[in-house]
Amino acid sequence: MKSISLYKDKGTWLNLMHPYTKLLYIVAAISIPLIGGKLWLFGVLIAASLVLLASGKVLRSAVPLVAFSATLIIVIFLIQGLFNHANAEALFSVGPLTFYKEGVLFACRLGLNILNMLLSFAVFVLTTSPQELVDEMEKNGFSPKFGYIINSVFQILPQMMMTKDTITDAQRSRGLETEGSLGVRMKAFIPLISPVVMSSLVNTRERAIALEVRGFGRKNKKTWLEDRPKHKGDRVIGVILVLLVVLTIAGRVLGWL
Amino acid sequence: MAKIFKTKLTAATIVLIPACIGINYLGKLFASLLKLPLWLDSIGTCIGACLGGPIIGGLCGAVNNIVFGLTTGDNITLIYALTSLGIGIAVGIMARCGFMKSFPKAMLTAVVGGTAAVCISTPLNIMFWGGTTGNVWGDALFAITQAKGMSVGMGSFLDELVVDVPDKLLTLIIVYLILKGLPQKLTSLYDVNAEIERLD
Amino acid sequence: MALINIENLKYKYPGTDRLALDGITLSIEKGEFIGICGRNGAGKSTLSQAIIGLVPQFYKGAYGGKVEVDGVNCESRPVIELCEKVGLIFQNPFNQLTGAKETVYGEVAFGLQNLAIERDEMKKRIETVMKQLDIWQYRDRNPFDLSGGQMQRVAIASVLVMEPEVLILDEPTSQLDPQGSEEVFRVVDQLSESGITVIMIEQKLEKLAAYCDRIILMDDGKMVDFDTPEKIFSRADLEELGVQPPVFTRIAKEYGVKNEAGDYPAKLEDTVRLFQEKGVKPVRAARAKAEAAAEVFNIDQMSFSYTEEVQIFNELSLKLDRRATAIIGQNGAGKTTLVRLLKGLLKPAGGNIYYGGEDISGKTVAMLADKVGYVFQNPDDQIFKYNVLDEVMFGPLNIGMAEDKAKEEAVRALAMMGLEGKEDKNPYDLDLNERKMVAIASVIAMNTDVLILDEPTIAQDYRGKKLIGEMIKNLTEQGRLVIAILHDMDFVDEYFDRVIVMAHGEVLCEGSADEVYSMDAELEQARLHKPHMRQLLELLS
Repeated sequence: MKSISLYKDKGTWLNLMHPYTKLLYIVAAISIPLIGGKLWLFGVLIAASLVLLASGKVLRSAVPLVAFSATLIIVIFLIQGLFNHANAEALFSVGPLTFYKEGVLFACRLGLNILNMLLSFAVFVLTTSPQELVDEMEKNGFSPKFGYIINSVFQILPQMMMTKDTITDAQRSRGLETEGSLGVRMKAFIPLISPVVMSSLVNTRERAIALEVRGFGRKNKKTWLEDRPKHKGDRVIGVILVLLVVLTIAGRVLGWL
Repeated sequence: MAKIFKTKLTAATIVLIPACIGINYLGKLFASLLKLPLWLDSIGTCIGACLGGPIIGGLCGAVNNIVFGLTTGDNITLIYALTSLGIGIAVGIMARCGFMKSFPKAMLTAVVGGTAAVCISTPLNIMFWGGTTGNVWGDALFAITQAKGMSVGMGSFLDELVVDVPDKLLTLIIVYLILKGLPQKLTSLYDVNAEIERLD
Repeated sequence: MALINIENLKYKYPGTDRLALDGITLSIEKGEFIGICGRNGAGKSTLSQAIIGLVPQFYKGAYGGKVEVDGVNCESRPVIELCEKVGLIFQNPFNQLTGAKETVYGEVAFGLQNLAIERDEMKKRIETVMKQLDIWQYRDRNPFDLSGGQMQRVAIASVLVMEPEVLILDEPTSQLDPQGSEEVFRVVDQLSESGITVIMIEQKLEKLAAYCDRIILMDDGKMVDFDTPEKIFSRADLEELGVQPPVFTRIAKEYGVKNEAGDYPAKLEDTVRLFQEKGVKPVRAARAKAEAAAEVFNIDQMSFSYTEEVQIFNELSLKLDRRATAIIGQNGAGKTTLVRLLKGLLKPAGGNIYYGGEDISGKTVAMLADKVGYVFQNPDDQIFKYNVLDEVMFGPLNIGMAEDKAKEEAVRALAMMGLEGKEDKNPYDLDLNERKMVAIASVIAMNTDVLILDEPTIAQDYRGKKLIGEMIKNLTEQGRLVIAILHDMDFVDEYFDRVIVMAHGEVLCEGSADEVYSMDAELEQARLHKPHMRQLLELLS
């Protein structure tokens, strides 16, 4: 079955780290430059994320994620560089368009922030199994009902995706046109989406029964098959990350930054 | 008021959520297969809201974006979890108040849902990307408003408005048509007020 | 005291007027193997779900009388607690997976985690049960990647680890292919010997006869009879109640062979013994052979593959004429791929397919829509209208039929599939077997020259199979070509003039049913069984 998750177990140290530690990294990576307020801080953290991705052997997998945000970043540069209300000092011109320093700087800040967020998320997403995260959260008192919701999406979605082609074929077999003018295509939407909705809702009834007869929703505390092996690094890294954030706040308050 | 939010987290309503997220996804997939100019990616959230109420609707929306954010690593989606949550809650409240019972009422629900989406997305757009949305038409409009010197807030609001409201209108039309055809066997499962009658 | 006690049980689903269960009283002893039979809609599943409390707790509705398991009231004790005493397995293997676990091992553990069983005990139980059901080797696989038969065994395992006192099997093999069914019945075999109380609903009555101590016969929400298999299947009114007796009973009836108690035998060994004792040798008249008429499809050295590595067809050549044709073979033989190519949903990579002398490779699915009709296996992949009539009219209208004509065709097709009077119903308020009939009718109404059916008999009872069989005869007499992919050998034997056996993308053999079912070597190679009646006749002669 094709998984929708980007996670792959590469056996690196990042796979062994506790999901919480990696979540803490995201928080630190995003908040430090925003608190510190200096552009170079973005650079430091983007570099840190890149190093982490490389050490987790997932640098290549992160490329499509960054590419995905490229259009957004370009649009931001265009609009802010050309039209930002604070624009005063012309930076350069391309034909009739003049880019201004203030707008471009603002766009830089936004663009770097997007990149920083994307990469720190990539560190987490590419190295953490979603089921592991949910299991850990449940062990810490997170509701098993919500845990189920998140876990099941990963399993049920690929199944529903596979019905796409079957439904399209079944309706085309009955003469449904899926190509042509916008009107024709609009009309084809209901015969395609309706069977998905109806059959998945009908299926939910059986799945709900299957869960109830397996005792899902009991008030007692669940038991677990495994404990997660503890990793020394988790505590050390956690402490360092918290210290760095505190340091940044202190720096800002005391005016070092 | 309490009644509007009344929710039983039974197995039936819980399994509704992943199904609705799947519907969201397939809606988007079919829309792109048919080359329709809209997203149509919140059909499931709206169905969840209409069947299960605002809490389930909100959950469908939020979990949808959280899961896609976490799997695809696309934190742009993740940020808009708030918007999806808002749509689910707004549509759920409207549905519980009877605003899905006729076509004109459903259109009103669409406007409310669309407005909720716009009101939540606009501040996010401004905060994270200076007002743009990533949608070609909306951003073209935003560029024009900025060139004409309109405020960032107003421009971004319009940017989001032209994208979200038509999308939600069409989404709710589809949801209305689908729900009209739901068999009673199913709708009775989500009836929070159902009681067991005695026959003897 | 009996383990299960049911007293005057009545039940109505919400929003309906009909009593789904009407005054049922019975008791079941510990360790008994009980069967439930009756036509679709008789109330079999409803009764079984009342024993685990889903009726009324899950469905709500109106309830009367009392159900007790081991002294526990099933109306009021929550299902999530009652599941420690009663386990339930139902038809669709796929929907029984929780959908929250990435491995088969985790899937089986799900219930135990909820019951808060200690870790060591949990692991011990899982390993024992998984090994017993022969699924231990799949423990690290994703449960969704398994075949239907494997999934169904995982479902049984995940209930068995919870160690219930009663196990309910609601048509556990009705949606599986023959190999999968056999895997599951092998498990049922073990269960019947283990001493656990089992309640099994099943349309394959040969199986009920083989396992059951007693059988509950139901009709219209009432219990008609509750007795031994021999007594139940010897009833003269059985077919009127929509139940066809097992082949053993049928043949014994035909030759008047009764056992000591004056009933007809219901089990294989009893039948063979009685026939031998009485010295009766049944013979079967060969069927009149249908002549090959004008060719409809000509598949000429056609090759096809989905991916570059795996070739499905390599220069396959086959001609199809107007005889009703059944395509049989194990899963993965290429049956569905072949009919999809005929329908134009897939395009051959090499060679040609001619329909009526014309090459179809240049035609789109839409262009073939009014010539070749195709009923998909799962009706839920196509049904989208609010009522049955509109659903059936969708295809005819799409291919340009006038409204009146489309309605006329739709009404006729619905009547043919036994759905008269249900035109205004919401298709999703019907049961799966009826939804399948709607899907078949929706393609018949398009009045196509060719009709392709993918597994039409799954989930059908005796009446449903008969309706489909009559429809096939009917269309063939009208000169239309019916092609069906089937796993049900008895059905193939009864209604088809031509049988094509496929394995690994090749046609192993073909001919009339009489010819094909006497080719032992080819059937073995295709891993197919002979129809029950033929097996029995061979044994008896």
